[in-house]
Amino acid sequence: MASPVVAQRPAETPARPGRRRRRPGIGGRDHLVGWLLIAPAMAYFIIFLLYPALAALYYSFTEWDLHSAPIWVGLQNYTDLFFDDVKYPHFWKSIQVTLQYTLVAVPLTLVTALAQALLINTIRRGSNLFRLLLFLPVVTAEAAVGAIWRWLYDPQYGLVNAVLGLVGIPRQNWLNTPELVIPALAFIAAWQCGISMIIYLAGLKSIPESIREAAVIDGAGPVQRFFKVTVPMLRPTTFYLVVTGIIAALQVFGLVYVIFSGGGNRSVTGGPEQSGLAYVLHIYLYAFRYNAMGAACAMSFVLLVFIMIITFVQFKFMKQEVS
Amino acid sequence: MIRRVTGAAAAAVLLTGLAACGGGSEEGGAGSATELTYWMFQDRTPQAGEVVEKIRTDFEKANPGVKVNIVKIPKDDYNTKLGSALAGNTVPDVGILDQPLVSRFALEGTIKEVPAGTLNEADFWEGALNTNKVGGKLYGFPIDHTAVALFYNKALVPTPPKTWDELKSISAAIHQKDPKVAGIVVPKGDGYGAWMWPGVVGGAGGQMVDEANKKILFDQPPAVEALQLWVDLLPSSPREITDSDQAFANGLAGMMISGPWDVATIKDQFPDLDFNVAPLPYKTTPAGNIGGENAVVFTKGKNEALAWKWLQHLTNATNNTVLAQALGGFPVNKEAAERDAATFGEQQQAFLEQLKVAQARPAIPQWIQINDEIIAPALESALSGKMTAQESLTDAANKTRALLGWNS
Repeated sequence: MASPVVAQRPAETPARPGRRRRRPGIGGRDHLVGWLLIAPAMAYFIIFLLYPALAALYYSFTEWDLHSAPIWVGLQNYTDLFFDDVKYPHFWKSIQVTLQYTLVAVPLTLVTALAQALLINTIRRGSNLFRLLLFLPVVTAEAAVGAIWRWLYDPQYGLVNAVLGLVGIPRQNWLNTPELVIPALAFIAAWQCGISMIIYLAGLKSIPESIREAAVIDGAGPVQRFFKVTVPMLRPTTFYLVVTGIIAALQVFGLVYVIFSGGGNRSVTGGPEQSGLAYVLHIYLYAFRYNAMGAACAMSFVLLVFIMIITFVQFKFMKQEVS
Repeated sequence: MIRRVTGAAAAAVLLTGLAACGGGSEEGGAGSATELTYWMFQDRTPQAGEVVEKIRTDFEKANPGVKVNIVKIPKDDYNTKLGSALAGNTVPDVGILDQPLVSRFALEGTIKEVPAGTLNEADFWEGALNTNKVGGKLYGFPIDHTAVALFYNKALVPTPPKTWDELKSISAAIHQKDPKVAGIVVPKGDGYGAWMWPGVVGGAGGQMVDEANKKILFDQPPAVEALQLWVDLLPSSPREITDSDQAFANGLAGMMISGPWDVATIKDQFPDLDFNVAPLPYKTTPAGNIGGENAVVFTKGKNEALAWKWLQHLTNATNNTVLAQALGGFPVNKEAAERDAATFGEQQQAFLEQLKVAQARPAIPQWIQINDEIIAPALESALSGKMTAQESLTDAANKTRALLGWNS
C-alpha cells in the first residue's frame, strides 16, 4: 500500500483526484501518522469533554448521590425541576435571576467595552498603557475580585457609596438589598469587560480610514459618523460579542460564589432572598451540597438546551453582516 | 521517506508520553505493616500539623507494625473528594465526616455502626455524641465540637445580657446612645444564620423537629418567639450598619453571635478591641447549637478494628484537647475538657459552657437542604418584614413536611 504513495508524490497536484478515489477514508500510513499526531488532543476531548458530557446525560435520568449506585428514574428529574416546587423551591427563582443578570450585564458590558475601545482608539500616545490597565480586571483572580468589590460596596466605608455621595445619591446597602444585587453584579461584569474591549478595538482598527474620510467630506459630524459608520461597520463584532456574552452570562458562577460566600463560614446560598442565586450556583448546590447529582445533571442539560435555542434564535434573527 | 520516518517517530514519542502519563501508581513499599488510611481536613496552621503528627507517631509506637497514612484535604473540597472516592471504590478506612452528613451515610450503609463497647458514652458531651446518632444508634466518634456564643464589646456592654429581655434592652440602649452604632449584628436568613438559629429556639425551650415521631416543631411558639427576637432586635441594629465588613470588630456593633474562630481573627487584626464572649442569652433554658467534626469508619474500608482503635486514640483524655485545639474546636471528651478548661483563653470559656448544653442537628439526611433552602429563606422573609415570624415559619414547616412526607 505504501509504495504507490511514494511513487506518485513527484506528480502530486495532477494525481490527487485519482488518489483520493482509490484510497478513501482513514486508511494508509499518512493517515495513521495524522491520527497519531492528533491522538493527544482527541484523547483529551474524549476523556475530559465527551465522556463526562455523555455520562452527565445518563446521570440526568437517575437519582444519584455520588456514592451509592444511581437509580434510573427516567424523566422524573426533569419534570420535578419544572413542576415540583417542594423539591426545588428556588429553581424558577434561579432562572429569573440568571435572565435578569444576562439582560443587564451583557448590554452594560458591551457599551462599556465599546466606550473603552473608542477612547483607546482615539489617543495617540500611551494607548498601550491604558489598554493594559483596562484589561487588568480580566486577569485578576476571581477570589480577589470578590474581596475587593465587597469592600467597594461596603455600606459604611465603601468607595462606591462615597462616589455616589458626591452627586447626592444616598448610601445604599448594595449586596444586601435584593433589588440592588443584580445591578451590583452586572457592574462588576462590566468592569471586567477587557476581552470585549480588545475585540472591539480590533474591529475599530479594521474600519477603513477611507470610509471615515468620505463621511467627513459628506459633512457628517462625529455623532453621525459614530451611528452611521462605526456602529454598522462593527456589526459582525457586536454579533459575536452578544452571542458569546450571553452564553457566558447564563453560566455566571465564580463571581456570585465569591461575592456571597465571603469569609469562609458565610452562606453560599446566593445572597439576600436568593437575589443572586445564579443558575449554575443552583446546580452547584444540588450537586455538591445537597448530594443530588442526578438532578444537578438534569439542570445542566436544561441549561444546555436553553443556550442552544437562544444561540439559534440569535443566528436566525440578528443582523450579522455589515449592511 | 524521511518525512514519514520523522512523523512516525514523533507519533511514537507522543504515545510513549501518553503511556507515561497513564500508569504510575506504584505499589509503594507497604511491606508487612498494616496500613490504615485516615482522611481529614487540611491543617489550619503548621502547628496544627505538628500536633496531628505527634498523635500519629504515638499511635504507631503503641501499635507496632501499624502505619497510619493521613490524607489531608482542603475543607471546601472534602465532600466532593469523598463522594468521588466512594463512587470509585477508593475509600479511606476511616475519616472525618461533616455532622449533617452522618445520617445520610448511615442510612445508606456507607459507614459502620460503632460496635458495642468501643465508646463509653458517659465520657463524651451529649450534644457532640448525638451528632453521630441516627435512629438511636451510634455511627461515629465526635472528634471536636464547636458552637456559637455572644461576643460583646466591653466598652459598649459592661455586663453581658443573660436573658432575651436584657439582650433587647442593651441593644436598644447602645443604638439610642449613638445612632451610628448598632446593638447587635443580627444573623441573616442564610444557611449560616439558619445553622445558629436552633440555639436560640432551644433558649425558649423549643426544638426543631421530633425525629422519633416525625413531627416538625419549628413552627411552634418557642421557634416563633426565637425568630421574633431577631426581628425585634433589628430596629436597634440597622442592617446598613451591621452589613459593613467586620462591623463588630470595627466597633460599629455592640454584640454579635459567632464562633471561636472569630476570637483569634479579631485578636490578630483588631488588637485594640476590648471584647469578651458570653453564653447565648436565653428565655427559659440555656441552649446552643453545635458544629464540629465527627469521624466514621467506612464500610468499604479495611482494618476495621484498627480504625476504631485509632478513633479511641484521637478522643481519649490525653489527646483530645490538643487535637481539638489544633482543629479549631473544643474537646468532646468530658475529662479532657474539664481538666484543660484553664488552658483555653478567657474569651473561650463561654464556648466551653455553651457546648455543655449544645443540641445536635436533626439526624435527617436532607437537613442541609432544609436548612439552606427552606428555613433560611423563611428567616429572611420575617427579618425583611415581608411576613410575620409565624406566617413564614408555618409556611416553611409545611414545605418541610411535604418534602419529608411527614404529616405533622
